[in-house]
Amino acid sequence: MDWYPVLLRELIIFKRRLLKFGYLLSAMMLPIIYFVVFGLGLGRMVQIGGKSYLSFLIPGLVAMTSMTNSYTWIANSINLNRLYFKTFQVLYLAPISYSAIIIGEVLAGMIKGLFAASLIIAVGFLTCPNFGLTLPFIAALFLSCFLFASLGFVVGMLSKGHEETATYSNFFILPMGFFCGTFFPIERIPYFLKPIVYLFPLTYINILIRKEAFDDSALISFLVLIFYSCALFGIGFGALKKYSE
Amino acid sequence: MIKVEGLVKHYVKIKAIDGISFEIKQGEIFGLLGPNGAGKTTTVKILTTLTKPDAGKCFINGFDVIKEPYEIRKFIGVVPQENNLDRDLTVYENLFIYGKLHKVKDLKVKIRNLLEMMGLWERKDTLVSKLSGGMQRRLLLARALLSDPKVLFLDEPSIGLDPQIRRHLWEIIKKAKAEGKTIFLTTHYIEEAEALCDRVGILSKGKLIALGAPSELKKSVGNFTVEYYMDKEGSIKLWMFKTKEEAYEFAKKNDLPLIIRETNLEDVFIKLTGERIE
Repeated sequence: MDWYPVLLRELIIFKRRLLKFGYLLSAMMLPIIYFVVFGLGLGRMVQIGGKSYLSFLIPGLVAMTSMTNSYTWIANSINLNRLYFKTFQVLYLAPISYSAIIIGEVLAGMIKGLFAASLIIAVGFLTCPNFGLTLPFIAALFLSCFLFASLGFVVGMLSKGHEETATYSNFFILPMGFFCGTFFPIERIPYFLKPIVYLFPLTYINILIRKEAFDDSALISFLVLIFYSCALFGIGFGALKKYSE
Repeated sequence: MIKVEGLVKHYVKIKAIDGISFEIKQGEIFGLLGPNGAGKTTTVKILTTLTKPDAGKCFINGFDVIKEPYEIRKFIGVVPQENNLDRDLTVYENLFIYGKLHKVKDLKVKIRNLLEMMGLWERKDTLVSKLSGGMQRRLLLARALLSDPKVLFLDEPSIGLDPQIRRHLWEIIKKAKAEGKTIFLTTHYIEEAEALCDRVGILSKGKLIALGAPSELKKSVGNFTVEYYMDKEGSIKLWMFKTKEEAYEFAKKNDLPLIIRETNLEDVFIKLTGERIE
C-alpha cells in the first residue's frame, strides 16, 4: 500500500480541479464535438456492418477518451512536477519503492480515464438503443487506461520540457485517435498505412472494445495490449531507477 | 555520520563538484559556505540521493548513498533551496501526504505540533499557493522535521526571509541539534554560518578550499581585519592580522580612512579566493 499516498495526492488535486468551472467541459470538449459532428451529423447517413454509425462510434469514443485522459494528465503532471514545480522530488525521496510511485501515478491516470470514459458510456446508453457493456469492452477500457497512463508516465519522465510532451501528443496520441479505428473500421485504412496502424496500441483497444465475446482476434488484441502495458510499465520503472537531477 | 570521499559531478562541460572530501560527526551542525554556483546545492542533491555523482563515495550512517538510496531516505529530512511544496494542496494536506509517504506514526498529532511551532496552525486549510514566501519556507522546515529524521539537510533555509523570521528559524535549527540531529546546512549568509555551525566547509568553483570550526578558520587568516574602501575603484581592500595591536600598528603607518574589525568568514573566503561570497 506504499502507492496509496501517491494516489491520494493526485486524487485530492483531481477533485479540486473537477470543482473548478470549465475543467470538466474542457476535458470533454473534443469527444462531445466528435459525437455531435460525426455521430449525430455525418453518421446519420452511414451504416457499418448493418448497424447504425452511432453504435460503431460510441465504443471508439470511449477508447479515445480513456486514452487521452489517462495519458494527458499523467504526462503533464509528471513532467511539470519534475521540471517546474519540483514536487516530484517529494515522491522520489520518500522511502517507498519505485514501483509504488508508478502504481500510484498510473492508478490516478486510470481513475481520470475511467471517469471521462464513463461520461461517454452514459451518452451511449442515452442515445444508442443497442449499446451495451460486454466483457471485452470492460477489459479493453481498463487496459486502455492502464496502458496510456503508463505511456504518460514514461513520456513525463523522459521529456525534457513541456513542449516536448506536447510534441509526443501530436505525433502519437492525435494520429492514433484518427487512424486506429475510432471513426471508421481499420479494414478501410489504405493498404500502405496498415503496418503503421497495427503498431499503435489504440488499434487493438478498438478491436477489443467492439467485440461481444473473446474470440481469436479479441484474444490476440488482449495479449498485444498486455504486452504493451507491461513494456511501458517496465520502461517507466527503468526511467525512475536511472533518474538523476 | 556523513562521510564524503572524492565526490565529482559534471553538468555537460561544467565541473559542478571537483573531488571534495569531508566528514560530519553525529549531532554536529555542518555548514557548506560559498557563493551561488559553487556546488553547494549539487552536493546536497547527491547526499540526499536525488542526483547521481560521476565519481566518489558518500556514506550516511554507514549506508552507501549511491547503492542504498532507499535506506538513506528512511532517516533524512530535506529543505530544498527551490520550494517543492504542492501549491495545489493545503498546508495540512502537504504534511499529511508527506507523513503517509514516510509512514509517520501519530501523524495528526505531529502535524498539529509542528504547525503550532511554526505559527502555521491557523493557516492549515490554506492552499500553499496563497501563503507568503516566509510561511512557505517555514512549512518546508516543518515538513522536513515531520518524519523525525536523524539527519537534516537544509539548502539555503533562510533565503528570502526577513531577519525576524530568520532568527526564529535559527532557534528551530538549534533545537533540532539539541535533540541530537545531525544538520547539514548550505548558506551564503555569513552570519547564518557563524551563528549556527560547529564547523564549516568553504566551497569555491566545486572545490573545498577550507574546512574547520569558524574560529579556527578565522584564526588561520588572522583574527583582526583592516578594511579600506577604495572610493575611486569602488572596491574594498583587506589586510588580516593575528592581534589587534598588529592591526592598529598597520593602520597608524597608513594615513588612510581604515576600519579595524574582527575577521568574519567572508574575509576568510576573500583571503583564500580573492572574491566575495555575495
